[in-house]
Amino acid sequence: MTKLHEWFRRLNDKLVHVLVYLALIAALTPLFSVLWEVFRRGISAINLDFFIKPTPAVGEVGGGVANAIQGTLITIGLASLIGVPIGIITGIFLSEYSEAKLSSFVRLFNELLNGMPSIVIGLFAYTLIVTKIGFSVAAASFALALIMIPIVSRATEEALKLVPATIREAALALGMPRWKTTIFVALKGARKAVATGVLLAMARIAGESAPVLVTMGYWKWWFAGFDRPVAYLALNIFLFAKSPFENWIALAWGSALILVVIILGINVVVRLLMREKRL
Amino acid sequence: MSSPYKIEVENLNAWYGHQQVLIDINMKIKDKAVTAIMGPSGCGKTTFIRCLNRMHELVPRAKVSGKVIFNGVNIYDNGVDPTWVRKRIGMVFQKPNPFPMMSIYDNVAFGPRIHGIGDKKLLDQIVRQSLEMAGLWEEVKGDLRRPASALSGGQQQRLCIARALALEPEVILMDEPTSHLDPISAAKIETLIRRLAEKYAIVIVTHNVQQAARVSDYVAFFYMGRLVEYGPTKEVFERPRSELTERYVTGKFG
Amino acid sequence: MERIIDLELRGLETMVAHMCELAHRAISTALHESLHHGDSYDKVRETSDFLMILADQVEDKAVEIILKFQPVASDLRMVKTLMRISYDLARLGRYALDIAYVNKRFNGVRDCDEWIREYIKNMGQKVMNMVELSLASIKDKSLKSVKEISYLEREVDELYKSFLDKIAKDTSESRAIVSSVLIVRYLERIADHMVYAYEALIYMLTGRRELIE
Repeated sequence: MTKLHEWFRRLNDKLVHVLVYLALIAALTPLFSVLWEVFRRGISAINLDFFIKPTPAVGEVGGGVANAIQGTLITIGLASLIGVPIGIITGIFLSEYSEAKLSSFVRLFNELLNGMPSIVIGLFAYTLIVTKIGFSVAAASFALALIMIPIVSRATEEALKLVPATIREAALALGMPRWKTTIFVALKGARKAVATGVLLAMARIAGESAPVLVTMGYWKWWFAGFDRPVAYLALNIFLFAKSPFENWIALAWGSALILVVIILGINVVVRLLMREKRL
Repeated sequence: MSSPYKIEVENLNAWYGHQQVLIDINMKIKDKAVTAIMGPSGCGKTTFIRCLNRMHELVPRAKVSGKVIFNGVNIYDNGVDPTWVRKRIGMVFQKPNPFPMMSIYDNVAFGPRIHGIGDKKLLDQIVRQSLEMAGLWEEVKGDLRRPASALSGGQQQRLCIARALALEPEVILMDEPTSHLDPISAAKIETLIRRLAEKYAIVIVTHNVQQAARVSDYVAFFYMGRLVEYGPTKEVFERPRSELTERYVTGKFG
Repeated sequence: MERIIDLELRGLETMVAHMCELAHRAISTALHESLHHGDSYDKVRETSDFLMILADQVEDKAVEIILKFQPVASDLRMVKTLMRISYDLARLGRYALDIAYVNKRFNGVRDCDEWIREYIKNMGQKVMNMVELSLASIKDKSLKSVKEISYLEREVDELYKSFLDKIAKDTSESRAIVSSVLIVRYLERIADHMVYAYEALIYMLTGRRELIE
């Protein structure tokens, strides 16, 4: 190998290194710039009022997003209550009874639901629920639950598949009925993975705005029953940002910051959980 | 009146889907003795013992015909609950499979707990006795709360044996219990098997001809789903009646 | 399919075949000299000592095969049998030596009465026959001579008993009688060992423990 050849090779190597780093910077820059912008503009709106005062009326000074926070929590909570159990059961069914004829149909349905645009799901919830009882928390939760189901289902199925068959066999050989082995043995081993899936699903719906808009609409007041709408953080951003009022715009940035913090927070927790599992 | 035979197999046939893996097996398993099942890969020996505790039917499209009579009852009769069978006919697997997240104590107590025993004092006693019988007590008595995954391979396998013993079975089935272990652990398990044979009927599947000779009182040779020869170990190994058996044990199989 | 153990077993068989030849030669030489003139005591002694050494070697090799291969079934029976036969062949060597010693010290039965010499000749022939049949069967691994061996064994036994009866009635005190009794005794023992060897052969080939009547 001539000296020139070797010199070229080393140059090539360094070049590729540099390119890779540049690509990395290019990929991370938008993320960091968004985060920075949200932080910069939102932090000024964060004060005590932000957390305890409801949406201000037109022309009112100050105000907060307390009711939006309440509304978001209730809506996501109800959505999880519906979506998580259905998702888990679907996941169990797909994993444990994969030879049943029904299972390929369920799997297909799951895949379709997963790929459906969230606005379409929102419209579906509209026709099903809003036409009957009007814009409501129930309708929004229903739509969000539908979005959650495939995510939780897939996470559950994958988690159960990871539990080695030998563990199940051991339980069966000790005289445990099959359905019990699924619940106690397989699920026990899959706990962390399923929890991870649930958290990721919640992070996903926390950021959804389109389906909520179509099923709940914009609302300024506190929670008033499942058949009524409620204020919602993601929607607040949308509506406040369009307004001409200074304080509303500030609240919009503040809401954005809170949302980002929540979603980032969930992801960090998930990472921690997953790390523990690998040990 | 107790028969010297713990299990009597009559005209047992087994299938996976359309493929027949066991053909007309007739055999009587003696109590308080070790019966080894040997044969080349694919001869049906693992399927056979899984038919003895109704584990075979858990595989999709598995089918069984014939009788397996245990304590006077055909375990394949309509009214018989498979979990009843599996409580009395225990099984130890090839790869040690203790429940990894659970402690040593919980592993052994698992069986009794799922069959309704909740009294702590009783469980303590059962756990201790089972671990003693499996020859593991001295090594783990210091801390039973340790996770099972912290034990070595040989210890894990003895833990699995203790776990099976905790249900006080009458028969213990072992599917190549030492094939994943180092020779020293394997030897310990073989000694344990001989000791257990004083109390239980043991059926052990092995692909190691020497192990079958060392450990068993009776040996059965399976080939292509059929029972070719069955008799006292000394007889079968000194003077096999079948040419096939002779070729298998002397290693003349191609 | 040739296995590692087959090579070793063949080695063992070769050693035993060699021992068969040596034993045969020693006995026929010693017997011949008991009736006719000869001077091969030293030769027979050498052969007999060598047979003892070979028997030890066969035993060692057999144990080595057991250690290494943990043989079972026909392999195991072969090893056990060849060990046993090598012992019988070494005994044969010893009896040949004993006869050669009688030849040396007593002139064999050359000084005996005619009838004694006839007895020895007759018995000697039958025993040599047995030796040849047995050794051939061992080499060929066949059992076709089992009836003959059984027959010969009975004949040799009868000759032995009737000889002793006759000697008991003989009142002459000649030292020739002593040598003849000794040699007859040795011949009878040689016949016994050939029967044991044949029984071991039956075990090796069939796994059955049968006695030849």
